[in-house]
Amino acid sequence: MKHVILSAALVAGLVAPAAAQEVSLGRFFGACEDAGTDTKTSVGEACIIQSIINAASAEIDGVTVETLPTDWGNYYDQIKAAYAGGTPPDVHVMHRHRVPEFAGLGAVADLSADLAAAGIDTSDWAPAALDAVSYNGGIYGVPMDFHANLWHVNMDLMAKAGLVADGKPVLPSSPAEMLEHAKKVKEATGKDYLAADFAQYPIGVRLTLALMWQQGANIFDGDTATINNDSAKNAVTSMTQLFDAGVANPQLNYADSQQSFLNGEAAILVNGTWVVDFYTAEAAKSEVALNNYYVADFPTLFSEGATWADSHMWAVPASLKSKDPSKYAAALKVLAFINDHNIDWARTGHMAVRSSVLNSAEYAALAHRGEYTGTAAIARDTPPSEKYGAIQDVLNRELQAIWLTGKDVTAALSDAQAEVQDLLDR
Amino acid sequence: MSEYIGKARLNQKQAAVVLLLPFLCAYFAFLIYPFLRGIWISLHDWNLLAVAFNPDAKEFVGLKNYVRVMWGKDITWTLYHSPILQSIAIAGAIMALWVKSTYRMRATFVWLIILICAVLFIASGFHPGEGGRWYDRRFWPIVVNTITFVGVTVPCVTGVALILAAALNRETRSMAILRTLFFLSNVLSVTVVTLIWQIMFSPRQGLIANVMDVFGGSPIVWLTDMQFAMVAIVITTVWWSLGIAMILFLAGLQDISNDLYEAGALDNATGIKAFWFITLPNLKRTITLVVVLQIILHFQVFGQVHLMTNGGPNDGTQVLVRYIYQTGFRDSELGRAAAMAVFLFVIMSAFSFVQFMIGREQE
Amino acid sequence: MTRQSGYYTLITMLSIPAFVWLIPTLWMVSLSFQPNDVLARTTSSTALGMVPIPFTFDNYLDLFAFGHTPIWFWNSIIVALGMTLGVLAVSTTAGYALARLQFPFKATLTFLCLIGLMIPEQAVFIPLYTMFADFGWHNSYHALILPRLAVPIGVFLMMQFFKGISKDIEEAARIEGVGWLKIFWFVMLPLARPAMITLAILTFLYSWNDYLWPLVSAQKRDFFTITLGLASLQSNFAQSEGLGRIMASGVIASLPVVILFLVFQRYVVRAMSVGGSKG
Repeated sequence: MKHVILSAALVAGLVAPAAAQEVSLGRFFGACEDAGTDTKTSVGEACIIQSIINAASAEIDGVTVETLPTDWGNYYDQIKAAYAGGTPPDVHVMHRHRVPEFAGLGAVADLSADLAAAGIDTSDWAPAALDAVSYNGGIYGVPMDFHANLWHVNMDLMAKAGLVADGKPVLPSSPAEMLEHAKKVKEATGKDYLAADFAQYPIGVRLTLALMWQQGANIFDGDTATINNDSAKNAVTSMTQLFDAGVANPQLNYADSQQSFLNGEAAILVNGTWVVDFYTAEAAKSEVALNNYYVADFPTLFSEGATWADSHMWAVPASLKSKDPSKYAAALKVLAFINDHNIDWARTGHMAVRSSVLNSAEYAALAHRGEYTGTAAIARDTPPSEKYGAIQDVLNRELQAIWLTGKDVTAALSDAQAEVQDLLDR
Repeated sequence: MSEYIGKARLNQKQAAVVLLLPFLCAYFAFLIYPFLRGIWISLHDWNLLAVAFNPDAKEFVGLKNYVRVMWGKDITWTLYHSPILQSIAIAGAIMALWVKSTYRMRATFVWLIILICAVLFIASGFHPGEGGRWYDRRFWPIVVNTITFVGVTVPCVTGVALILAAALNRETRSMAILRTLFFLSNVLSVTVVTLIWQIMFSPRQGLIANVMDVFGGSPIVWLTDMQFAMVAIVITTVWWSLGIAMILFLAGLQDISNDLYEAGALDNATGIKAFWFITLPNLKRTITLVVVLQIILHFQVFGQVHLMTNGGPNDGTQVLVRYIYQTGFRDSELGRAAAMAVFLFVIMSAFSFVQFMIGREQE
Repeated sequence: MTRQSGYYTLITMLSIPAFVWLIPTLWMVSLSFQPNDVLARTTSSTALGMVPIPFTFDNYLDLFAFGHTPIWFWNSIIVALGMTLGVLAVSTTAGYALARLQFPFKATLTFLCLIGLMIPEQAVFIPLYTMFADFGWHNSYHALILPRLAVPIGVFLMMQFFKGISKDIEEAARIEGVGWLKIFWFVMLPLARPAMITLAILTFLYSWNDYLWPLVSAQKRDFFTITLGLASLQSNFAQSEGLGRIMASGVIASLPVVILFLVFQRYVVRAMSVGGSKG
């Protein structure tokens, strides 16, 4: 009975011109205050998403959207505090790897019954996308993208080192080869081979994870942590060999590593799909040193191809669904709008989630898209766990200990294993 | 008597009740009750989010949180486990006793130092035995970090503030302007201060990097370098909190009567000699006060670490209050966070008590 | 003659560290007047960045046109004023009662009140957070203001002050038949003005610069104070507006307290010395 009333209210909310609902929206991606409402010309994650949100606020009848941008590093602290304080935002973005945690607690609402009424076609989603937002038979969010780690390449530097063939960069197929290439670049150009944020966000963790997956290993198997082993060691040392040879700097944070790539101080930047259009725009500027920019799949350094991937999705708090049906309906309209603009979000460099978009000519025509088509095939998700957030923190700390403070690799891995085991046991 | 004509007047007791009620309501509601509740929370296994959705999800576990934070498996005590620290502790205690007898320093201060040395001596003896481990591998190193931070910042601030106060202790216009300039940084909020210094320290955009560039040096990545991160936090904090220490010293200096200086001048004790033999001994109480105040203040450090280094690299700059915040709001472990908060309270109240006693001695 | 030149040497010598001390703040101001795209590439355009050439007002204009900064600014003002008035109200009343009135259990009550001086903010912010969450009071002005009313430092300050006032004034009023409350309102409060100003400034500064409690209590951006809002921009800036804009936010965030300080210097100095030395 409650279900019927709820659905009725929902339909009423969707159909009738209700009083303007203000939907609060929590997100990261950075702040962009003057994004406007033109979703076709905005550049960069922050401005594209904000232009979509502004457009939603302007174009959906009876709904305005109030954005709450938070910095990426503290996002989940704030969202959790908001949930615990009883005031979560009406709509918020989430990573797929957090679904077990939030859905498991009953924090986010099961949207399966209401998506069609809001104009969201779940059959249009790529199977992997549907999978990403599903948990225990329910659908807990609207997927927005797949994102994965890529190798962003400065073709000019690679060319000087003789590492370009057929208009594509020559990438290593083993750690030893990587060191060779790195030395070539250093000798030919005097610049670093590789840059990445090893010092701030868990980007280094994702790199290491990918390299472990390439060896057929993972960080935990069911309830047992499997970190202190050879595959992890190989993964870590393939990076530390670059630091030791002076061809990569582990001390740069996200902003500095990015800027060093844009300034032409590193041939390769390991970063994600989310910056492709931003770097394309920068490369076009004459005052920015980066000129010839290529986007490559993460190379296979071990036996199988793999790169870290995750998915962004939009979720609605369960409390909103049960307590405020008309605002819940408004929230779903906002999600439908975002879903409709999947092609615009894909412009960032992220991979779209709707089959109709993936197969469209517009998508294929996006800058550099043809260069990293292989990524979709090698993309792998992090192992699911309610505690994944905490696990990632532990790994980030221990790996940073290795790179930044010279902690012994075995000691760090064994500490990480003990702590992750603790988390899995709790 | 005109007192009882007209409206009934309140007697003292009733007036007192009316006047005290507002404060007492706020006090018990927002300080005493939360404090007691915090202790109660620390006795539970309390997941922030789970309990928010289901109030019955918390579980009474007694002192388990304290054990899991501060203790471990197979912890033993050895006399010479940390010879350096323990020797320092013994040396400190001996020195304090010697200073007491030769300089007639205030007894309370000396006993405080001896107490700290004793605690240090005993605390550094604990370590995991064979096959044992601390349950919370990060807690004690973080406490040590916090103590290190306090141990470096407080002398720096005290020293610089003392010298500046002594140098600027004159009522001329220029002196007043100079004092203002030094004090200005103290009114800024922690976020503005960390904003400024985060950029100052940036290896790419920072002023320090720009200056080093001019001199041909290579930039130091301050905030992620194991050796420099704590130094960066200390520099920021010293720049920020100089003002209040300086003001306190100025107030103390003004209490020293000029006659003493004139008498000293007759003995040819001017300038630095005057400072050493006249100013310093008379400032003993103020110096103690400033030191204790700074210890209390800097033990609570949070913003600088949260916004500049995120506790990194590898917990190198992680401090107690931030660990409490993260345990509560990132890991959702409210019970453990509350236990750590009680630990912090014990330390802070000890120093507050000392400060209070020193303050009362003046009366 | 030597004395004079000694003095001038001292002033000159001290001006250098004073200037050095001021450099970080000046640098922030200078950067706030430079355009963002230039700053993305280099911060040492002129004189290591200390002189704002190229110059622009854009950062400040954008701040008021687009950002949430004005809202945050007003929140800080409302919260700071509210907290100041609240603290003055509870501290003067309780301080006077404890200093001058006789009533049973006075010594015990005084002791109880001052015990609270030893409880640091960090020991209670978590239980306070759960309490306010249970009542649904977060994201509001009262959540930001109320907790500080409980801290007894204000009571202690006013108590010390009132103890120092001569008893004759009170006795004269009592002989006239004036009630205690009237004495408090019409006689004591006006006398207490210097101490009240001191307490007001201490509280205003504390409120303006508070970070930890607003961080956990204000989840909706509309209720951020400027200190909190600025922090939320700080980590974002790498992905967003740019250095100049952030610096402009910092300048705006600091202006009120700096102006307050410059105008009320004497009181601020007294506030710090009294607050510190009395424990």
